[in-house]
Amino acid sequence: MGHATSPPPAWMENPAIKPLGSENLLLRGATLKNTEKIFGVAIYTGMETKMALNYQSKSQKRSAVEKSMNAFLIVYLCILISKALINTVLKYVWQSEPFRDEPWYNQKTESERQRNLFLKAFTDFLAFMVLFNYIIPVSMYVTVEMQKFLGSYFITWDEDMFDEETGEGPLVNTSDLNEELGQVEYIFTDKTGTLTENNMEFKECCIEGHVYVPHVICNGQVLPESSGIDMIDSSPSVNGREREELFFRALCLCHTVQVKDDDSVDGPRKSPDGGKSCVYISSSPDEVALVEGVQRLGFTYLRLKDNYMEILNRENHIERFELLEILSFDSVRRRMSVIVKSATGEIYLFCKGADSSIFPRVIEGKVDQIRARVERNAVEGLRTLCVAYKRLIQEEYEGICKLLQAAKVALQDREKKLAEAYEQIEKDLTLLGATAVEDRLQEKAADTIEALQKAGIKVWVLTGDKMETAAATCYACKLFRRNTQLLELTTKRIEEQSLHDVLFELSKTVLRHSGTLTRDNLSGLSADMQDYGLIIDGAALSLIMKPREDGSSGNYRELFLEICRSCSAVLCCRMAPLQKAQIVKLIKFSKEHPITLAIGDGANDVSMILEAHVGIGVIGKEGRQAARNSDYAIPKFKHLKKMLLVHGHFYYIRISELVQYFFYKNVCFIFPQFLYQFFCGFSQQTLYDTAYLTLYNISFTSLPILLYSLMEQHVGIDVLKRDPTLYRDVAKNALLRWRVFIYWTLLGLFDALVFFFGAYFVFENTTVTSNGQIFGNWTFGTLVFTVMVFTVTLKLALDTHYWTWINHFVIWGSLLFYVVFSLLWGGVIWPFLNYQRMYYVFIQMLSSGPAWLAIVLLVTVSLLPDVLKKVLCRQLWPTATERVQQNGCAQPRDRDSEFTPLASLQSPGYQSTCPSAAWYSSHSQQVTLTAWKEKVSTEPPPTLGGSRHHCSSIPSHSCPRSRVGMLV
Amino acid sequence: MAMNYNAKDEVDGGPPCAPGGTAKTRRPDNTAFKQQRLPAWQPILTAGTVLPIFFIIGLIFIPIGIGIFVTSNNIREIEGNVFMYYGLSNFYQNHRRYVKSRDDSQLNGDSSALLNPSKECEPYRRNEDKPIAPCGAIANSMFNDTLELFLIGNDSYPIPIALKKKGIAWWTDKNVKFRNPPGGDNLEERFKGTTKPVNWLKPVYMLDSDPDNNGFINEDFIVWMRTAALPTFRKLYRLIERKSDLHPTLPAGRYSLNVTYNYPVHYFDGRKRMILSTISWMGGKNPFLGIAYIAVGSISFLLGVVLLVINHKYRNSSNTADITI
Repeated sequence: MGHATSPPPAWMENPAIKPLGSENLLLRGATLKNTEKIFGVAIYTGMETKMALNYQSKSQKRSAVEKSMNAFLIVYLCILISKALINTVLKYVWQSEPFRDEPWYNQKTESERQRNLFLKAFTDFLAFMVLFNYIIPVSMYVTVEMQKFLGSYFITWDEDMFDEETGEGPLVNTSDLNEELGQVEYIFTDKTGTLTENNMEFKECCIEGHVYVPHVICNGQVLPESSGIDMIDSSPSVNGREREELFFRALCLCHTVQVKDDDSVDGPRKSPDGGKSCVYISSSPDEVALVEGVQRLGFTYLRLKDNYMEILNRENHIERFELLEILSFDSVRRRMSVIVKSATGEIYLFCKGADSSIFPRVIEGKVDQIRARVERNAVEGLRTLCVAYKRLIQEEYEGICKLLQAAKVALQDREKKLAEAYEQIEKDLTLLGATAVEDRLQEKAADTIEALQKAGIKVWVLTGDKMETAAATCYACKLFRRNTQLLELTTKRIEEQSLHDVLFELSKTVLRHSGTLTRDNLSGLSADMQDYGLIIDGAALSLIMKPREDGSSGNYRELFLEICRSCSAVLCCRMAPLQKAQIVKLIKFSKEHPITLAIGDGANDVSMILEAHVGIGVIGKEGRQAARNSDYAIPKFKHLKKMLLVHGHFYYIRISELVQYFFYKNVCFIFPQFLYQFFCGFSQQTLYDTAYLTLYNISFTSLPILLYSLMEQHVGIDVLKRDPTLYRDVAKNALLRWRVFIYWTLLGLFDALVFFFGAYFVFENTTVTSNGQIFGNWTFGTLVFTVMVFTVTLKLALDTHYWTWINHFVIWGSLLFYVVFSLLWGGVIWPFLNYQRMYYVFIQMLSSGPAWLAIVLLVTVSLLPDVLKKVLCRQLWPTATERVQQNGCAQPRDRDSEFTPLASLQSPGYQSTCPSAAWYSSHSQQVTLTAWKEKVSTEPPPTLGGSRHHCSSIPSHSCPRSRVGMLV
Repeated sequence: MAMNYNAKDEVDGGPPCAPGGTAKTRRPDNTAFKQQRLPAWQPILTAGTVLPIFFIIGLIFIPIGIGIFVTSNNIREIEGNVFMYYGLSNFYQNHRRYVKSRDDSQLNGDSSALLNPSKECEPYRRNEDKPIAPCGAIANSMFNDTLELFLIGNDSYPIPIALKKKGIAWWTDKNVKFRNPPGGDNLEERFKGTTKPVNWLKPVYMLDSDPDNNGFINEDFIVWMRTAALPTFRKLYRLIERKSDLHPTLPAGRYSLNVTYNYPVHYFDGRKRMILSTISWMGGKNPFLGIAYIAVGSISFLLGVVLLVINHKYRNSSNTADITI
């Protein structure tokens, strides 16, 4: 990294101070051209390198599942310690009688006898800890990591998320957050490039109130005669004509577009103007659109050569302007300027920027007309920019130069000083006109947003655009509906009333309905009620976030959050990048601690992507910064739907079962050991053989759960996509709540009791072989272990809803492996072992009838309560998912009666008057099936062959709960 | 866990991957596995599917339970072979210190282990500077009472009942796991250099006169060496074989049991028992399994009925709800 300077001697003689800025930066891979050598300064080294900085800034994101996992782990740690403590205490109580501590048949060694009592107690405690340590499922962490790592491949492999156009598929940058995708409650989305295509198209420009529209474009190709101008207004005066040309020149000059002269490039932006083909490249697609648009209006930007910008004017003359300064764009100022010197020696400052940043600096021009036009365009969802200029005389320019130079060479606060300098320079402008650029919505953006909202996710749009533009986009993508009541919390309103009043008024409006809202939430029909949309702008937000002087700092924030919670959609416009992150943080740390997801495509979204629980980058046109810093990257916004509703849902279901199951199976595993201590004099005798202890988690029960956690689909992919409401079933970490966790633990305890005491009563004081021979303690342990392996594996089998051949293979294979292993392990005298305790134990056990009967009985008893619980819950309190599971089975049977005359009764306008009809489409469809099943003949009504789409708007007024279960 | 960070991504701001050849390679395969569309059986546990299972469990378990129960109760009749057990209670054969106090290599006839037993045998490893064979607490505490059974006839002497010593240990234990140390015919010679366990009256090579039941392969010894699972246990002592089909093995009459008392149990508050039992296909008398089977079967059946009622009732209510639409 360095800065190319003039040859050394000149520099030595004439020490001039030169600024080094980002434009001098040579990044890795730069090549040296046209010079022998350069002097360079190495900057951003060590901990300041991009890699190191990124490493720091990317804080460790942990998913909600992981957090509950850790909480459960602490509980189990407490259980472990208390178990060990209880046993240690009981041991010493029990041993207080000497004949128990050291009966004649079981004497201690001399050194054991002489050991200090406390030391003995402590070693006993540790020994119990070692004995019971399997209750802490260490292998769970390994399995979880494997599941996450392998599972994330399903995202990258997903064909539905592959974009043909760009040839990009989804990227997974971290696999730690897969399940978090199923827990999202808030989505913060960027607008430009995320909701919209970021494929800018110059729509019109307005010069002093006259509107110019370039000719229509066909399939991206401008028609040959497109250089004409449509005059909407009357033709301008001579003065107007001058202004008009100045405006075009301004657009031609005020940008940072680069021209790529390359005939061989077959990029999409080929210049239409005959002869030379050139491609415009810029970091901002708006600029490219503007330059191209102006080209269609007659002014072509040719190139920047030797600091001279060349443009081709309408008369095909080349005009050259010397580029003196570029006051580059930044998102705080929201404008940029250039200072150029024309061939005639006049110096101009052209400034281009957002209307809000231009209008206050304008002293001349037809402000009102242009403002009206800008607002109209904004309402239509167009991106508007205003152009202004100022003529500078030489002295002024020199002053500016000095100012800028001083700011640029400042070593401290350079940015701040530059901003101040810019502020001084860009003032007293003359307004020339405004431009409008259209950014089309991304394909299926509306559909995606609708689905996400149905899934119970609140979608917030955070954009730097102006309010009207953003609001129009929000309407277009159905974030706001026709019946959404918009609440505005904008600078304009705050200027009229105080922030305090506005906030309280809004909260009153919102809360008036909250009573009815909560009631309706129960029946899941809240959408029927008035829903609110909030619009807030950056300035108002910073007012809310600003801590009060009188100490009531959190007050407004709370109120604001209260309002936001009641709104189905929130639009934040005029946001600076950091404010985006601020908003995310605000929601993230609000009292419910919701899971947030941020999605964006540009560098300005990186901060919020990093801040949110899950950051998703759209692989877009504005570089790959967002995609790189994100946790997941997708090619298009529409892929978010499948990402959350399908992949997220699956991952969550899978990993929560994985976590609960692991705790369960380790309780089953270790609790019998605990119980056995009561029967072996608290001597830390293991119930199972060492091989079983070691292999239980590693091989006997590991693969089925791993494969379950990779393959499980409790409902089909298509069902999940079709019915986004199912996402609500897993919201708020539903499957890892304490209640569920306690259920699993109790189930484990019950099963362990069954295993142990079942085996105990079978063995107690009797013979269980047909030849009268007796079994020992290892057979007892092996019986318990066998029952356990079968129960635990079959429990998983009962939970599996998606049996591919892999599941069959792994589940039955594991059981088979257990049997084969046991046969082998007990079938041979292993020379490397110094004990042969398992020799023929398993085989002898299998030769005993009662052992077989006991295995069958105990496995049945262990599984029975769980099955009963499942069936009863499904029957009495079914979740939406469970209903769909059952209905999914019933569907093929009813297919013939799917299109019933009921559909034709539907008035076409119904949907607009009652938006909730579509909401419950899948349910209502089901209603029809069930209610008409018996009446409708198997023959489909001939008139309704093509009315498939009608069924989505069948009215349904009754509670959805009452409709289910028909098909049981 | 970072992954899939390929070099192409490094180029900042570069044009997104050129179309054409690369696009084809990056396109994910359309295989059923990768698209998570493998054909699958999708069972759901509903009342409808579970109901029959409950009934089936009930219908299968109850008869099995009754069968077991009857078999178990019939065991008292002294027909067929009779098995003689001794029982100890409050004896912790499953104490960890006790369980591990043995050397399986020594018992397997390993000559180096014979003279240098495992450390696990402490404090029953050496005595008077000689290695103990068999070493360890288990062997040391071997049950050494002698039980003899006599039929007291109407008039004369008590007639001794023939008690068979062999066949009480697992075949694999006797023939594979337990081996005498190698050497000549003389068993004493083979155990040379070792001493008897402290509590034993006789050395290991004098346990029985039958060379096939002496030393480590003495079946009483092998039986004892299989540590019991619970503190109250029984071990097989002798077999009383049925002589002919015509006579019962132990005909009705008065019997006397002669116990040569060597084994102290009072110290640890223990009890000794002697059990005579016949064996069915499912072992000795144990009502537990039978009762458990009957209970589980009945509960399952009952649950099936309850579920049926719930299911039926529920279906009705949902029907009426549907009609109101």
